[in-house]
Amino acid sequence: MVKYVARRILQMIPVFLGVTLILFALRIPGFLPGDPIQLIVGEKTLTPALRAQIEERNHLDEPIYSQYAWYVSGIVQGDFGESYQKSRPVRDILFDKFPNTFRLAFAAILVEIVIGISAGILSAVKQYSFWDVLVTLSTSILVSVPVFWLGLLLQMFFGIMLKQWTGGALYLPMSGMGNPPDFMHLILPAITLASVSTAYVARIMRSQMLEAMGQDYIRTAMAKGLTERAVVFKHALKNALIPVVTYVGIDLGALMGGAILTESVFSWPGVGREIFLAVMQRDWPVVMGGVIIVVLIVMFVNLLVDISYAVLDPRIRYGGAAE
Amino acid sequence: MSERIRKGMAMMLVFALAVTMLTVGGCDTGDGEGGETDSDITKGGTFNFYISEPAFIDPVNLQESEGTQVGQAVFDSLVAFDPITSEVKPAAAERWEANDDATVWTFYLVEGAKFHDGTDVTADSFKFAWERICNPENESEVAYHLGVVKGYDEMQDASATELEGVKVIDDYTLEVTLQYGFADFEYVVGHPALAPVSQEAVEADPEGFSEMPIGNGPFKMAEPWAHDQYIKIVKNDEYYSDVPNIDGVDFKILADQDTAWLEFEAGNLDFTQITPGRIQTTVDTYGESPDGYTLNPGEQVSLGAEQAIYYLLINNTDPALTDPEVRAALSLAIDRQDICDKVFEGTREPATGIVPPGIVGHKADAFQYAKYDVEAAKEMLADAGFPNGEGFPTITLEYNTGSGHEDILLLVQEDLKAIGVNGELVGSEWAQYLDKVGAADYQVGRLGWIADYPIMDNFLYPLFKTGSSDNYSFYANDEVDSMLDEARETVDADERVAIYQDVEKIVGDASAVIPMFYYRHTRVASDRVNDGVYSANGLFTFDTVWLSGEAEAE
Repeated sequence: MVKYVARRILQMIPVFLGVTLILFALRIPGFLPGDPIQLIVGEKTLTPALRAQIEERNHLDEPIYSQYAWYVSGIVQGDFGESYQKSRPVRDILFDKFPNTFRLAFAAILVEIVIGISAGILSAVKQYSFWDVLVTLSTSILVSVPVFWLGLLLQMFFGIMLKQWTGGALYLPMSGMGNPPDFMHLILPAITLASVSTAYVARIMRSQMLEAMGQDYIRTAMAKGLTERAVVFKHALKNALIPVVTYVGIDLGALMGGAILTESVFSWPGVGREIFLAVMQRDWPVVMGGVIIVVLIVMFVNLLVDISYAVLDPRIRYGGAAE
Repeated sequence: MSERIRKGMAMMLVFALAVTMLTVGGCDTGDGEGGETDSDITKGGTFNFYISEPAFIDPVNLQESEGTQVGQAVFDSLVAFDPITSEVKPAAAERWEANDDATVWTFYLVEGAKFHDGTDVTADSFKFAWERICNPENESEVAYHLGVVKGYDEMQDASATELEGVKVIDDYTLEVTLQYGFADFEYVVGHPALAPVSQEAVEADPEGFSEMPIGNGPFKMAEPWAHDQYIKIVKNDEYYSDVPNIDGVDFKILADQDTAWLEFEAGNLDFTQITPGRIQTTVDTYGESPDGYTLNPGEQVSLGAEQAIYYLLINNTDPALTDPEVRAALSLAIDRQDICDKVFEGTREPATGIVPPGIVGHKADAFQYAKYDVEAAKEMLADAGFPNGEGFPTITLEYNTGSGHEDILLLVQEDLKAIGVNGELVGSEWAQYLDKVGAADYQVGRLGWIADYPIMDNFLYPLFKTGSSDNYSFYANDEVDSMLDEARETVDADERVAIYQDVEKIVGDASAVIPMFYYRHTRVASDRVNDGVYSANGLFTFDTVWLSGEAEAE
């Protein structure tokens, strides 16, 4: 196991270098249209003095290989450079934003796990019942509804209509994250962000449960006279959970970077929106820093997912014999 | 496993509980502070104002409207502008004078005015602030405001560390020497970026200052800027002039207008932008401000003219477009009113010149070809050698995508077709678009221009002076160049304006660009806003506004 983990970590290094190289290419003048330095002032005058100063600060006046060396050595020391647009260290900007995205992503994961898994189990155990139909129908709807539209709908209902109906007594906040950050502000964005994944989790859970329930060992367990409850939770669930864990694990990575729409609809100050804005403004240091951290997180989560397989299923053992 | 499941169940329970909580809990973010009533003005309360994330709020780099909105409330420059007439009025300087050729300006500061940290606002504070802007190390994008001041060039190329032209005569007297006479300089010093800065405060905490600047204005920062979330300011009780009626302003930083609109409808915002397509219904619901700027209950929608213009760029160096008659023909072919009606619900005004209303010297019909006359357009085109557009090449109509410009250029394309000119729409992203127009790699494009200060010079000098980096149409005319220089040095206001008007006529006769329409405000205030003024320069004035008591008791 230790050997396996070590190997996986070593494998990350070339991936990481590859990612930095690809991202760095964005910075090469002419690789992508649009001059990031001019963009700082838009259509207004950019004085030569200002351009020179910014180029010098970002080592843009040096040969490209030396820029790359600067960049990678900076990252290793935790220095991601400075934003072109905001003149703030990228590290500070991302440090502001990552905790918010984590908060939102974990809340979404929680929704996915709690609602998705229970709905899946319910629908499998009570196959073809009213509940099954309800789950199947609502997951179909959730999967096909555009995320931003769902977000707007929730805002409309819980933020405006509910407030009007109750004369301002009941409502949910529609934007921002509160000061200090509170649970209430998390609810709508977390539900929105989790919507599609929750539907998938429910579906995967349902089909896995049904498959597990049809296995011989379940029949054996039933024959032994165990209660349905014990069979479902003790025997079927454990095996059915593996694909769900995989999905949720991969999804955490997706939620980190893919929350752009939700973060925009709810004005959530997260990293997805920050990277999106930075791309629009050609603010390469922010884009590179943000993406690199997201990549690191995704790689790390994938590693955790692989390890958790071994824990959930003793048949899966890596690196030969068990220690 | 069974224990794990029990834990899972517990988690589910917690979640269910949380869901129940939300339906009973609610959450009151409203400001609970009550106000004391003084006659019919309720003093106090917090104004909730929508902005998008500013680039900077420190004067050293105060540039776009969002940051300027905050900066203006926290800082006072030497002069201020009347929010409706745009006339210059005293602020940090109680009076000022210029010498005969407008090269030397003397400003007399209000004595006893203090920064929010209690230190005095002196002539030194201005000298320090201005040199801070001109120092290339600070990477200020607004240094050009001081380009006219003697010693600016030396500071920019780092051969000097002080602005030679700025002299501190005594604590309350500041003397500014310019490189050449510039009679409009009194307007320039009203820009919020040129506010005084306390050297002590900056040096004590250079990084903190940009997050929580210490100013000399009617409001002070309540806490550091919470990026992408909010900026809170509270009234400054030690203010040297009239202390504001409200307790403070919460600038709520939201990602987009649509979210802001929802928050406004939910009663969580006192002022916001009206999202496209909703202007007429908003006017019907909330009532229109009679003068377009002043906001009171029932008169909550501001539709006043802005000091800004939307225009089509023409690449004057493109072989197909060098002939002024061709450019005039294009200009005459465009039905501006139709575009205003279709795209902006009639809330923008067709432009007849490059200088918008609200700027001293604005003249209607300054550009003789900036009107809709298809017959005249056809004639001009025929005179230029292209009867019915025959032989005229297809031209590109370029725009930056994602901001609604395509709708406008589509209509332009249709209009041009009517005189036999074919246009091809080419959209690119903003960054790429700037590259293209900057490199003259386009034929017809679009841009907007917002006044830095409400003077004619600001629309003519940068846009039409040969070699100016804002002159993206690459118009070049020696006569115009020398007239622009002459105007700047003309101290007599009427004479000066007359010269600028002549310049505007010359560039108009040449159809150097095609004016399209003057911007108008499309903002709405909540019904608790009284005596609010959203001024022509696109900034809300918080000095006089007060909030009705009713809504406060929510």
